[in-house]
Amino acid sequence: MDLKKKTSQLLIGSFLVYALLVATHLGEFWPFSVYPMFSQAGRPWNRSLVRDVDANMISSDDLWKEVKLGDLPGEPVPMVPLGISQNDMANMVSKTKVWDSDRVLGLRKLFDKYLDEKIFLVFKAHGEKVDNEEEPVSVKFTPFILLSADTTIFNPNLDIQFK
Amino acid sequence: MAFLQNVRLPQWLYSNLFDYEAEETKGDFYAFKFFELVVLVYVIQFAWDWGFYIQKISDVVLPLGMANYIDVSFMFHHNISLVNAAIMVVAGLVGFFRLNKYGYAVCLVSFHLHYISRYCLGEISHGSNLVGMAVLLLALAQWSFGNTKNMRVFALGMTYFYFGFGYTSAGICKLIATGYTWVDGSNLWMWIYERSVDVTSKQGFFEPNLLQEWALSSHLFATLTLLFGILAELTAFLIWFKKTRTFSVLILLGMHIGISISMNIMFMENIIIMFSVMYPWGRIIDRFLPSQAMGTHK
Repeated sequence: MDLKKKTSQLLIGSFLVYALLVATHLGEFWPFSVYPMFSQAGRPWNRSLVRDVDANMISSDDLWKEVKLGDLPGEPVPMVPLGISQNDMANMVSKTKVWDSDRVLGLRKLFDKYLDEKIFLVFKAHGEKVDNEEEPVSVKFTPFILLSADTTIFNPNLDIQFK
Repeated sequence: MAFLQNVRLPQWLYSNLFDYEAEETKGDFYAFKFFELVVLVYVIQFAWDWGFYIQKISDVVLPLGMANYIDVSFMFHHNISLVNAAIMVVAGLVGFFRLNKYGYAVCLVSFHLHYISRYCLGEISHGSNLVGMAVLLLALAQWSFGNTKNMRVFALGMTYFYFGFGYTSAGICKLIATGYTWVDGSNLWMWIYERSVDVTSKQGFFEPNLLQEWALSSHLFATLTLLFGILAELTAFLIWFKKTRTFSVLILLGMHIGISISMNIMFMENIIIMFSVMYPWGRIIDRFLPSQAMGTHK
């Protein structure tokens, strides 16, 4: 077979497979992708952040209060030294629609080694554009779930679905 | 797929991507081997980084790729992900050292399984896509052409094509999802704030750099930054053409450096792979070698 024919068949054939797979899998079938990251500009976003809080916080009235960055309680818990991917944390917290025991165990497993000594409060962070020249983006932090050695408590003020 | 029997690429595209007639020099050989080495190093890195991380996972939040059809939770226990990592690395080495023409193909299958197991927690990571595409194209080249000079020409041509296509499709996605207002500087503010939360979560604190401060204080500067980014992506198909390839890659490298400074996201794999494959390194290496021709071995 001549080189041009063989090359054409391989390129066009592989491209058709590429197109078919990304078209039927929301633009992603690794390593094929249409690279849609950052395509939806200006929309509100949800991320997460973890704080190390002390035991007194658990009984505090302010435990589940929505706060701004400067008012976050406790100490920061950086994910890098824990070997946890920030993106995994943020997506697990923001994309889980129904929390069942497997999902809770999955979240706890990420922090397994540290919960004997620490109490972690996981916050959902929500950002959106606001009409304010000084601060054009509003970022609010809502306590979502508290994890300790023997306890998992969800924010009772949120509408969370459980199974 | 009978219609593929009669398809032919247009000559303008074929001649720009695939130069089978050119004699292979030692520089070409070593430059291609270096490209393969870069890909192999990433394969080894992903194999073990992900292999250990997968053992921490216990639930599938977002099924990707083949995980839509098979339950990948078997990878989470009994160190199976580490066995898969070993298969991935060995198969990659078999491909690299030309021990078997299916080496890279086995590596790719194993790599896909690794990816869908690692990224099942709700996140889609694009950092490894170019590495995966490179393995796929090396697999296709090795499978179809054996270990010959034509394998190199085919693998490089396909790499140019898919890298150009991938970046251009990223630009088109932005226009489809948001429209021309994508370049509005306030959108960059949103991403900088979002990244400030991510960086705080990762390392415990966030300090905006100079470029971020400029972008946050000037709507025009932020808009121009985004305009440069989308133009770099939309024109990435220029990689397909010999005359504009180097220029286009330079623009894309600039875009990646811009993203890393403005949004603290470093696409290191993209930068290194593009840098290693898109420049005519063969010609540069030849200047330092006494005898250049390798002889053809089609």
